[in-house]
Amino acid sequence: MSTKRFRPDVDAPEYKGGYSPYDIIKEGTIAIGVIFLLTLLLAILFGSPDEHAITIKTWSNAAPIDFATTATSELNGTSTTGGYGAPYNNASDGPALGPIHVAHLIGVRIPINTVKDFVIDPLKSLPNQPVLDQNLAMWASASTSTRSTWIANYTKASANMKFTDGHVVVNATDAGPVPVMVDSLTQMARSGALDQALVTGSGFYTTDFTKPLLFVSDGTYLADLATKQHLSGDQWGMMNETGSYPGQAWLWLYSFWYQIPPFNTSGNADILILGIMLLLSVGLLLLPFIPGLRSIPRRTRVYRIIWREHYQNLK
Amino acid sequence: MGWLSSFATIFPLNNLGHYLHWHFLLISRSNLIVTILMVATFLAALFLPFPGRRSRKENQ
Repeated sequence: MSTKRFRPDVDAPEYKGGYSPYDIIKEGTIAIGVIFLLTLLLAILFGSPDEHAITIKTWSNAAPIDFATTATSELNGTSTTGGYGAPYNNASDGPALGPIHVAHLIGVRIPINTVKDFVIDPLKSLPNQPVLDQNLAMWASASTSTRSTWIANYTKASANMKFTDGHVVVNATDAGPVPVMVDSLTQMARSGALDQALVTGSGFYTTDFTKPLLFVSDGTYLADLATKQHLSGDQWGMMNETGSYPGQAWLWLYSFWYQIPPFNTSGNADILILGIMLLLSVGLLLLPFIPGLRSIPRRTRVYRIIWREHYQNLK
Repeated sequence: MGWLSSFATIFPLNNLGHYLHWHFLLISRSNLIVTILMVATFLAALFLPFPGRRSRKENQ
């Protein structure tokens, strides 16, 4: 009868030493209690970040030209949302993991037509606006090519956009109703009505902020604020918090990939890094089954520092 | 709760943070402090004796 060979990285030697009682419930209770008291104390002393939410109202009042320029990009389809692809539209393939276009698998689940959803429909909801109504009727009766010409002419002239006396001023020729539409949308945004118009309409409870969030993120205002607070992807922003509060330091590895080539220049970085992190997470889960890696604790002998008293007694 | 507001004056965490930049590494001072505290806690857990060890020894 052959004896099975002892494998040090898999098999545990039979323990022949003494045993002593250990109350893990007591230790766990003490640990949770200490953490609770520390959390309470730190919350009382330091509070928590209290940044006011960025709404379309705050954005359009702080930076009306950026808002009107973004509204123009929603009309001409060059906004980030307009060209995003799934789940909002079919404008692009979206991120790909090798040959797999992940967004295609999900499909257009939250259809958004930036012209209709961000501009025309909200403007239609404004009451008692005869001039605007005339312009919206002109838009509705125009052909697709005429609309495109109006938008192209307005977009070209909007390089010299000004905001004077509370109105968006663009000296555009042959732009049809577009100047009135963009100016009215800016007025609507500055009053706060656009926030309401974009949030409502998705059921009794108005908790779906998808449209206003997308609209705000299409502008440069939010991105500029984020950059100032070191929250952008290329600033390890995933780890950071607003102000001087400590952030999510445990996301260092996830943030790290965004800082190095080829990910820091890839438009596909999100899905590639997600793939890497999934692989690493699976590796961590399967660590006991990976030869070499599973021997690290045995070879580094950190356990001998923790249980040094026990190993001293063995000598 | 005036003493709380005076504490907030000493540690005004709502102000823009300080960041340390070295090559592609960029870390906020507060994140660095928390990381150092975590490492210190880990080292303390490794090297400090277990609480109650002395009394156990005395009992033996």
